[in-house]
Order: sequence, then C-alpha cells, then structure tokens
Amino acid sequence: MTRILGEPAVLDDVGPPRRGRAYPAAGATTALLVPAALLLGGLLAWPVLRTLHASVTTDGRWVGAAHFRTALAAPGTGAVVARTLLWALVVPAVVTVLGYLLAAASRRSQEGGLVRLILVVPIAVPLVVTGVTFRLLYEPDPQRGLVTMVAARLTGRSLAEAPQLLGPRLVTVALMSAFVWAWVGLAVLVFRAALDAVPPSLTDAVRAFGGNRRDVLWDAQWRPLLLRTAAVVFALVAVGTSRTFDLILVMAPGSVRDEAAVLAVRVWQTSNGVTTGEGAALGVVWLLAVLAGVLLAALFVRQAWPPPPRQASAAPGPANPPPRRVVRLLAATAALAWLVPLGVLVATSLHTPVDAATRAWWSAPPSLASYAELLGGDELWRTLVVTLVLTLVVTAGVLVVALLAAYPLAWLTGPPAQATGLMLMAACVVPVQVIAGPVNEVLGVALSSGTTRGLALVHLALGVPFAVLVLRNAFADLPAEQVRAARVGGRHWWGTLRLLARHNRPAVIAVAVLEFVQVWNDLVVGLLFSGPGVVPLGLFLAGQTRGFAANSGELAAGSVIAAVLPVLLVVLARRHLVAGLVAGGVR
Amino acid sequence: MTGRRVAVTGGPAAGARWDRRTLLRAAAATAVTLAGGCGRTGPSIQVAVVWGGGELTNFRRVVAGFGDVRVVTAGNDIDAFLRARQLAGTSPDVAILPRPGLVVEYARRGWLREVTPSSGYAPPVGMADLLSTGGRRYGVWVKAAHKSLFWHLPSRLPEPPRSWDELVQLTRRLGGLARRGAGPAPLAVGAADGWVLTDWFENVLADVTGPGFYAALARGEADWRSPQVRAALDRLAELWSVAGAFPGGGRRALLTQFEDSVIDVVHRRRAVMVFEADFVADTAREFAAGEAARTFRFPGARRADRPLIVGGDAAVVFAGSERGAELVRWLSDGAVFGPWLDAGGYLSPDVSVPLDSYRDAVRRDLAADLRAAEAVRFDLSDQLPGPFTGSDGVGIWRIMQDFFADVTGGVAAGEAVRRATGQLAAAARSAGGGR
Repeated sequence: MTRILGEPAVLDDVGPPRRGRAYPAAGATTALLVPAALLLGGLLAWPVLRTLHASVTTDGRWVGAAHFRTALAAPGTGAVVARTLLWALVVPAVVTVLGYLLAAASRRSQEGGLVRLILVVPIAVPLVVTGVTFRLLYEPDPQRGLVTMVAARLTGRSLAEAPQLLGPRLVTVALMSAFVWAWVGLAVLVFRAALDAVPPSLTDAVRAFGGNRRDVLWDAQWRPLLLRTAAVVFALVAVGTSRTFDLILVMAPGSVRDEAAVLAVRVWQTSNGVTTGEGAALGVVWLLAVLAGVLLAALFVRQAWPPPPRQASAAPGPANPPPRRVVRLLAATAALAWLVPLGVLVATSLHTPVDAATRAWWSAPPSLASYAELLGGDELWRTLVVTLVLTLVVTAGVLVVALLAAYPLAWLTGPPAQATGLMLMAACVVPVQVIAGPVNEVLGVALSSGTTRGLALVHLALGVPFAVLVLRNAFADLPAEQVRAARVGGRHWWGTLRLLARHNRPAVIAVAVLEFVQVWNDLVVGLLFSGPGVVPLGLFLAGQTRGFAANSGELAAGSVIAAVLPVLLVVLARRHLVAGLVAGGVR
Repeated sequence: MTGRRVAVTGGPAAGARWDRRTLLRAAAATAVTLAGGCGRTGPSIQVAVVWGGGELTNFRRVVAGFGDVRVVTAGNDIDAFLRARQLAGTSPDVAILPRPGLVVEYARRGWLREVTPSSGYAPPVGMADLLSTGGRRYGVWVKAAHKSLFWHLPSRLPEPPRSWDELVQLTRRLGGLARRGAGPAPLAVGAADGWVLTDWFENVLADVTGPGFYAALARGEADWRSPQVRAALDRLAELWSVAGAFPGGGRRALLTQFEDSVIDVVHRRRAVMVFEADFVADTAREFAAGEAARTFRFPGARRADRPLIVGGDAAVVFAGSERGAELVRWLSDGAVFGPWLDAGGYLSPDVSVPLDSYRDAVRRDLAADLRAAEAVRFDLSDQLPGPFTGSDGVGIWRIMQDFFADVTGGVAAGEAVRRATGQLAAAARSAGGGR
C-alpha cells in the first residue's frame, strides 16, 4: 500500500522535463546502476518475461491462447474478473469523495489536526491487522459482533436472522469497507496538500468579481487544481486495490472465499508459487490491466503535481474563514467512526483468551492475560526479531541501491528521463503473485529459494523501483547551484552523492520510512517466499486466523503489537513523508 | 488433516519462558542467517514438519532421542514449501507429510528415497499400503488421527445415539425444542472449514458402501455419480436439513470455524454434539467450563464391523540422504514416541504400542478402536489428486460447502444431491482422475 503513497510525485514524469534537469552534463558513473539493474532484471524483468512465455507454452511447446481459454473458461472466472473491476471502480470513487470532503472539512479548524491524525493512523496499520480488526467488528455471532447485532436491530429481524456482513452476499461490501477505512487517510493527506497549494489570491479574485461560496469552490479550487488531484487519487487507489489480497485472506471465512475472490486470489490459487500455464495466463491478464491503468493515469496527469506551495500562503488570511459548524461536525463524526474499529481491536485484546473467544468484548472483565500468554511464549518474540532484522536489512539495502542508482539517473533529461520514469513506474506496480513462480526459479539458481536471504532479496527488488523514482526526482529537482557546490565540495562521486543526499533529507527519510513500513506490514511476500522456520509478522498473524474465533484474544493482542511500530513511525514522520514525496516542492 | 490445524493449535508453547538470552540468541541466529545464508552446517539432520506449538515441542522431544536433528516448521502449506526447496536444491533430509497423496506424488517424481521400516513397524491394515507406489515403500506413518467421533457433555446427553436412525431422531427432537427456544440445538458444525464437511461425508460413505468402492473412489477409478455416493449424500441431507439442527441456522454454521463449533458445545452450550476427530480434545480442554467432554463413535447403519476413518502424518526421506533414512527407520518404531505419549495428545499409528502407554482413558479407548476396527479407511479427501483434495474455496471442500448451503437453505434433497455429484464428477475429471 505504502509503495503507492509516493506516486503523485512520480506520475508527473511523463510530463514535460522539469526545471532541475538541465544540469551541466556531469560525469555520472553508469556503473552505479549495476546493483539496481541486476535486482530488477533478475527478480522483476526476467520473471515477467518468463510468465509471458509460460502463458503461451506447455513444456516449451507453443500452445497459443489455449491457457487463456482454459483459465477464462474455468467456472467462476467471469465473476472474479467482474469483482476485480468493481473493486477498481467503486472503492477509488468512494475514497476520493470521502477524502476530499474530510480534507475540506478538517481545514482551518482547531480539531482538524486531530481529525487528520486519526484518519492517518489506518494507513500505517498492516493490512493483515485491518482484516483482523474488521473481522472482529463483523463477527457473525450477534452476541459478540457489534455490527451484526446493530444490523439485526436496524432491520428488525431476530438475532438468528441478522444480515451477515461476512456471509456470501455481503462479504465484498465488508471487505471494501475495511479497505476504505485504511485508505481514506491517504486521500485526505493528498487533498490537503492540494488545498494548501491553491493560491488564496485566486479566491480573492473570484470574490472580488462577486462570486459566492460555490463559485469559489468551482473556479478557485476545483477547476485549477482539484480535478487533477481527484484523478490522481482515483488512479492511486484503483492501482492499490490490487492489494486486497491480504484482506481477503484474513477476513473471508473459508466458505465464502470464492464469493470474495479477486484476480489476485485466483492467480495465487491456480499457481501457488510455481509456474503453471493457467496461472501465468491469468497473471498476464491482470498485469496488462494494471499497467494499462497506470499508463492511463500517467497520461491523464500531464503536468507537475501539485505545484510547490508558495511561502506567502502559509498563514491563512481572514479571507479564509473556518468551515461551517455542520461541516466541522461531519469531520469530527468521521474521526469518531474511524476510531470504532481500533477500539474493538484493543478491547478484544484486553480480555483473557477464553473470554475473547466466548463473550462479547463489551461484557467481559478486562484482563492482560492474552498479552501475557502471547509474550510468555517464544514464538512471537522470534517472529518480531526476524521481522525487525529483515526490515532493517532490507530498508538499508534499498536505500543504498536506490541512492546509487538515482545518482546517474538524475542527470538524464528529455525522453530518456521519461522512459526510465515510465519503466520504474511499471516496475512499482507488478503484482508479486503473478511472478512468484519464476522468481522462485531465479532464487533457486541463486541457491536462496525458501531462505531468509531469498525473502530479503525479493523485498529488495520490490522496494527498489519506487525508492529510485523518488530519490531520482528529488535529486533532479535540486537547484543547479546546490549541485555545483556539492560537486566542488566533494571531490569524488560518493562525496557529491553524500552531499546531495544531505540536501534531500526529507526524500531519504520518506523512502526509508515507507520501505520499513512496507516490509514490516508485508504478508504476501512472506507467504510466497518465506523460509524454513522463518515466520515474518504478517504470516504469523495470518496463520492464526485459521482458528479465528478461538484465537481472537491472542490474535488481537498480536495485532496491536504488530501495528504499534509502523503507526508510530508514520505519525511521527508524516510531515517528512508529504514533503519528501512531493519532491521538489519544499525548498 | 492433522496438518491443517497447525496454526490453530499454534499458540505459544506452554511453559516456554522467554528470557533475554533467548532473544539475543534468536537475534544472532537471524543475523547469521541473513548475512551468511543458510549453508547446511555440520552433520545435523533437517526435518520439515507442519506442526507448530505444543505438537512441535513434543516432536522435538522425541527426535532428541535420536541425536542432532533440526526440526523446522514449514507452515500450513508444506507442499509449496517443499516444491520451492526442491527447485532450489535445498530440500530437507526428512519431511513429515500430512497427506499420503503427496507421498505418492513426490515418489513418482523421483524426489524420494525408498525406506525400510524397522522390524517393529505395525500400522493398521488399510493404512500400510497407501505410502507405496510401484511396489516400493516411500514413507512410514508416525502419527494417526481418529476421525469417527462425536463429542458431547454427558450432562447434556446422557444416552448417545447408537445408530444413524437414532441420531436423526434425536436431532429432530432436539431441533424442535431448539426452534421453540426450549433448549440447545442438537448439532454444532464448523462448516466454514471445508474439511469438517468432507470428514462427515467420508464417515457416511464408508458406512453405506463396501471397502472396495471407497478405495476405488480414492484411486479415481469409480464414478462420483454412482448410487453409493448419492446414498451417502442423501443421508447427510436427511440430517442436515432438519430444522433447528444448528445453532443460528445453516447460514451461521457456514461462517463458523471448527474450534468455534467445539466451543459451542463445551463452553457456550448452545449445541449438544459436535462431530470431529480426536484433536477436538485440545480445544475442548482449553475451553472447558466445568465438565469434561466425552466421545461416542460416529453412528452408522451397522452395529458390527463399523468402519473407522483415520488420518495420519507420514515421514519421507528425500533422495540422497543416508542419515535421513536412518532417522525415518528409527521413527517407524512406535516405542520411540514415548515422550509424546507421556505428554498426551498423541495417537500412535503403531498398533503394537501397549495400550498402557496412553495416559488418559479417552486416548486409550481411541487406540483400542484403531486396532479393533474391522475396517480402517483412510481419509478420502486426503488421497484425492491435485486441487480436488481441497483447500479454502477449492476442490471437494468447496463442493461439500455448496451442498451444505443447499440442503440447509431449503433446496430439495434430490436436486442438491444431483448438483453435488455433478460437481464432484467434474472436479475429479479435471484433476486427472475419476470418470
């Protein structure tokens, strides 16, 4: 999810070349690209080609579209494709509208900061934990599930007849609600940055010509800036819906897995970590759809976005009154609603394992027994240590590889710059389920399949494209004088690189934090590539959902523990995140 | 099926206390692994298992008697894990597989080494030849599961039904009471887990057909639309369609997981009986509310030579591992599992293990069942090929869940059975077996 966060900064790369690019052609060392090229070539490009190959061959023999026909004719595939499309259309629309409303409603009011803080927290929560949280909220037993009980009351049916959100009819709605909960904060952040970037002079001008509130909204905000922002948010979330995989795995009970399945799940079920013709064919369909979506979004947004905010606009003048009370109330209500799932999670974790499994979280006496049980064994500790070490190693690795690669790439101008931008962007959105089989083959050749080393390598390869993009843009946006000063100051390329990195601290921090959160929160990479006895956090939690109700106390406690670190990081670094990702806009 | 509940029982090992040294050691080990890769060091033998939690701890205690053995958990999907390791050329020496279908599949691909069990190896008839292909033996049973049990609280059900007809009558009577709100529902079922329903089906099927047909279905040589399969499904429909049979109705049952159904009987007491295997004991003990649960055999039409459905885990050796073969030979002697027998929660596939070795009375009865049963039949779904064997939303799991949804949702039994047999036959065809 978080890999997507920075794409606003990235999407503009297909637009006209930007100001910082016209450096004096410097002696950039192409050799610095080698580590990134090896990683991306071996673990992304080659697997994609291999998948394409496997989708039209059987044991090396050409079979044309046979695999595609089989895969698409398999029972239920039509429904799965339709459901995937529904996700890519409905969820982004809801997130965009909610994000705009909440961003506007929480502006310039005292409680606005707190509201936004609450909305941002779910972004950092691992999607596995989001799934656990909403499954607790939607528990089918009306005596333990808040929503099921409320739904029974609202519909006037008996408790046994209550509508089941996790049942076959509504499970997709339940999953979507969890996804919206997790992603609205991102939309709010982006819209807020865009709203802050709207020059107040424009509003003044509209007012001066006798415009009313609606005219201000339309002519001073929507048309110049927000239309494009909405398009970007929509595209980001649409691409992001390909990550519903974690949510479906954790939230959907086994009997409704089919009713909830999207392409990600179907591809994983048909190929399951090895290369099969049918799995590859479905994967290719999905890959093409995602790439088409990204290209479309990139072409739609042809201009740098959002423009650097002007220093003068920092202090809002009297011309910008706080929103109306009704609107502020709406924001506060939303914040409260966003807290409910977190409340359910924490409340469940504060019961003994037996109480959590058998009684309602609002009726049983609180206890720390679930935490004690979990922390008393060594399984969670081993998992935490493994995850922490893995995350730190991968984050450091991604930073090093990306800094090295960003340095020569930042000197490119014109079409080569745009071409590399597009390629990196495409690499950012390749779904890992599609290439799992070939990646395992490559790792096998490197003798590290099914080992922690292999897991770390895959994480590295998946993290590098996005990091290179952000850092390259940040470097390229540095004013030419600073670059020249750096080149005079540092005699060797590494001296220059160090100085450049220092000038771009927000971008480096943003990349580091996002990579850390990405690896820490991961489920799918661990699921596909984890090694013997190595259980990363996401996999540990997902494994416990097999006996969801019986484990709910420890599961909730584990979820809370898993969420603390990423939430703290993102909340503390959120200013750096926005500054670093909207590259070039802060200096 | 024992393998599928790893994560379920995968809570922290009881009594294992954490201290700073453990953490430091874990950190050091991880750092070494990350930095240097995991080269196989020294002569230690690597064993991949699906177990976690208490089962893993107990198995480690067992192999400690052999020597330097490293046991690693492969997680629920040991098949994907082993396939990846095989591709990478880093297969473990030994693996404990939860399904005989996998043993045969790996053996045919040439991944495995033939094994010679020790002289004391004595599995029940009906289990022994499942691990052989082409006349060669490729695995030995190390753990068994008894899958023909109903669990109940004696205070709620003083007299268990002794035949299928009695079970149906009891269900009708209690279901009627439950619908008027005058008592708990008769049956709890964790239909969200497809394997629970396939276990139901296998018990009924074994009861209505002879051993030949059951085995032929498993080998993919019999027709899934034949009258025997239909008769078994008819019986299930007869019971499952009873109004008020399940707490909260069929729709809720489909969202209820296996452990939750046990809790419904032993703790919340919303239901009187729950059907499943011997491992119900773990959940029943954890959630017991004052009264210990008891068992009775899955009631069938016959009184004599009642069939017994079993599951099990088998140890295999990967090609080229000399010491692995020694370990498996050693494990094939039921006597070496003493530490696990003492700890409880273990049923030996070796019928020569003395009944006195079992500490609790319930297990002793189950072990006696295992050697007394005239007809031991191995879990059918675990023998089916490819995706037909079932997982969440796939194969026979999914088909049985659809069938359950149909009969509890008011679809006529005949129509539901017709749909299910059609799906079963189609799934068998596309998995490469059956007709």
